[in-house]
Amino acid sequence: MIDWTAFLVVAVVTWVAALAIVAAYSFGVRLLAVAKDGGRSQGVSKAGAYACFVVCGLIVALGVVLIVPQLSEAILGISSSH
Amino acid sequence: MDLTLIVVLVIALALFFDFTNGFHDTANAMATPIATGAISPKKAVALAAILNLVGAFLSTEVAKTISGGIINEDPTTGVAIGPAMIFAGLMGAVIWNLFTWLLGLPSSSSHALFGGLVGAAIVGAGFASVNYSVLLSKVLLPAICAPLIAGISAYLCTKLAYAITKRENGASPKRGGFRYGQIFSSSLVALSHGTNDAQKTMGIITLTLVASGLQDSDSGVQFWVVATCAFAIALGTYTGGWRIIATMGSGLTDVKPAQGFAAEMSTASAILTSSHLGFALSTTQVASGSVIGSGMGRKGGEVRWGTAGRIALGWLFTLPAAGIVGGIAAAITHLGNIGIVIVAVAGTGAMLAIWFISRKQPHDHESNISDIDNSGAAVNILSKKERRAKAKAEAKQARAAATQKEADNS
Repeated sequence: MIDWTAFLVVAVVTWVAALAIVAAYSFGVRLLAVAKDGGRSQGVSKAGAYACFVVCGLIVALGVVLIVPQLSEAILGISSSH
Repeated sequence: MDLTLIVVLVIALALFFDFTNGFHDTANAMATPIATGAISPKKAVALAAILNLVGAFLSTEVAKTISGGIINEDPTTGVAIGPAMIFAGLMGAVIWNLFTWLLGLPSSSSHALFGGLVGAAIVGAGFASVNYSVLLSKVLLPAICAPLIAGISAYLCTKLAYAITKRENGASPKRGGFRYGQIFSSSLVALSHGTNDAQKTMGIITLTLVASGLQDSDSGVQFWVVATCAFAIALGTYTGGWRIIATMGSGLTDVKPAQGFAAEMSTASAILTSSHLGFALSTTQVASGSVIGSGMGRKGGEVRWGTAGRIALGWLFTLPAAGIVGGIAAAITHLGNIGIVIVAVAGTGAMLAIWFISRKQPHDHESNISDIDNSGAAVNILSKKERRAKAKAEAKQARAAATQKEADNS
């Protein structure tokens, strides 16, 4: 008996997570490039860029918390049977 | 032979396997950031080792798949196969691994492990001893699906990264920022490697403990097993790193930082998610899927299907080939204690022989520092000039066809 939903879960989670992280990091890189151009809103762009990198790290941290049973129980209150 | 002695033998061999796994796979994670100069080799290797160590502690789902799923349980003895059989299977996996390494064939240490184990179980305890539905749903299907999922992810991520950072009016996109991102993404790959690969050894050791009656069949992985496996893979990673540094500078596939970041993120996501669901994957295969996918996502990327096919064929071969070696070893252990001694001595002899031969001959295959690099060769990325030439040739062909058609019509 093959659990096809498990494969679907792996596919969707992989795509969503990877795309979200890459999007966040790419926006950060773009904003840094904009900041390098100079101009008025240099500081705002730079702050935005670092905010993007932080989002990137948060997504990864969330992923790790979900995987480790002890952490997901302690932080999110979910006891995962998987 | 004493029951505990064979258990110690299996554990030692399993940890050796774990060590070689780390040794073999350091390059997969850390080769690109070292090559782009984002991180110094020393730091990269140390980072990879530490993250492999941490990763091994994250989850035990894959270990449970191996210890409690693939081999059927016997109502009387707990597990259908004994420690001697596991020893035979492991020996088959280790020898097949070293053999393919010597010949420079693409192979997967994970599939060698499963092949050896299943081969030994079938020969030792009959076809009924293997749970084929678990084997299919947790090993074989993930082997096909996971690289595909990672490849599609890498393709989309590469497209996305280039689209977001593309700037109008010819302003510099400064994609060099992705170099530092690659330290981050490579670290995640190292972490996921520890999570999935170290668990395979944990599973084998737990299976042995259950088979020899030292542990209940429905209990989880013991902490000392997790810790020793984590240290073995980390040590292997650290040692393997020095080999990479020595061969550094040999032709690495042309991977741009943005593309590498996208590929590594896809690899790490796919492996970590799969580990959580207990899929025992080959990390090398997933990473290869990502490298090919991200290459296709770049402008002018086209796949050399011949090269890709040859790599896939090597993978396909691993499971049955290791199974045969494991099966032969299991048949010899049927002779009793003397059989186990023969397998141990012959196996060690084969390992030493392979090691000595590898010392003697120049390593052609080591110029390719990782299996991922081999997969990278499966993607051909055309330069701007080549793309233009190709478009020109195609346009010319189309024009010729059009005039031909007109001529035919009139």
